[in-house]
Amino acid sequence: MAGAAGGPQQQQQQQPQPQQQQQRVACQVFPERRAQGGSGQGLLSSVFSNDQGCQRLLLKTLQTNPYVKLLLDAMKHSGCAVNKERHFSCEDCNGNVSGGFDASTSQIVLCQNNIRNQAHMNRVVTHELVHAFDHCRAHVNWFTDVRHLACSEVRAANLSGDCSLVNEIFRLHFGLKRHHQTCVRDRAILSILAVRNISKEVAQKAVDEVFESCFNDQEPFGRIPHNKTYARYAHRDFQNRDRYYSNI
Amino acid sequence: MADAGGWRPPRPCEAYRAEWTLCRSARHLLHHYYVHGERPACEQWRRDLASCREWEERRSAEAQRSLCESERARVQATRKHALVWTLRQSPPADWHLPLPQEEKDQ
Repeated sequence: MAGAAGGPQQQQQQQPQPQQQQQRVACQVFPERRAQGGSGQGLLSSVFSNDQGCQRLLLKTLQTNPYVKLLLDAMKHSGCAVNKERHFSCEDCNGNVSGGFDASTSQIVLCQNNIRNQAHMNRVVTHELVHAFDHCRAHVNWFTDVRHLACSEVRAANLSGDCSLVNEIFRLHFGLKRHHQTCVRDRAILSILAVRNISKEVAQKAVDEVFESCFNDQEPFGRIPHNKTYARYAHRDFQNRDRYYSNI
Repeated sequence: MADAGGWRPPRPCEAYRAEWTLCRSARHLLHHYYVHGERPACEQWRRDLASCREWEERRSAEAQRSLCESERARVQATRKHALVWTLRQSPPADWHLPLPQEEKDQ
């Protein structure tokens, strides 16, 4: 399962009860997100963990993947320049979640025990950067408004390649006509349920309410990037945006 | 729209050509059908490419008008739906702050 917006264990001040409950659910998925927040890996555990492999895959993604390079550029432009050491954390996670975005520490969690290969890392980083990008450019009420969470999950599933035809076939989900949209809905619901203690019906209702708007919000790509060619074209357009908007 | 003195096509003509070529490809037909359940419409990219070339060759005012109208329609199409959330005026204040663990260490 691709990443979901994860919640922190950090409690710096009194917070409303529902938010605490949602954070506890997220803690169960990301057990290394300790009370003080940030990466939970100590020196001893990193020696025996998959951290080095995760870091190696992550570095290659950040340096070469066109989806990620566009997102990094867009975030820098919005005032959220990304620093690998500060904003990424490789950790072991429960279940089969691949990653998450921790809004309270502004960190992307990568589940090193569940990320299989470079292509998977590319997709997870893209997915979580969509969440980070949303956090950077909008007031997203991650814990108090399930519609906001649903919107970001719809966008992440839509734009990261999670729902490509090939990935769906590998999952043995066979469908062609408009199947992409079905996949986006289904994966958004799964991601919400991974980090929120709510019923499937509530998650489904939230996704239904926001789908039209959020499926069609394709920033910063301006299109659904079906493969690296589309992502490169989108990056080219992003780099050209000053010329574009000053001449229309 | 910038005035005629400083105006140039919003995209280089090569970009219109690349988009038209991509749009007409078999791969894009498959992707588009997979997402929207119908064939893509590529004619507007062809028209924009023709307008761009016409402006490059003859500085045609009609070509300029046509391109601007086409691109504005594209921008409008992306703004059709109201956003679920409010956009920020500035990035989150804590984005660059050190992690709480690092603060304790310092």
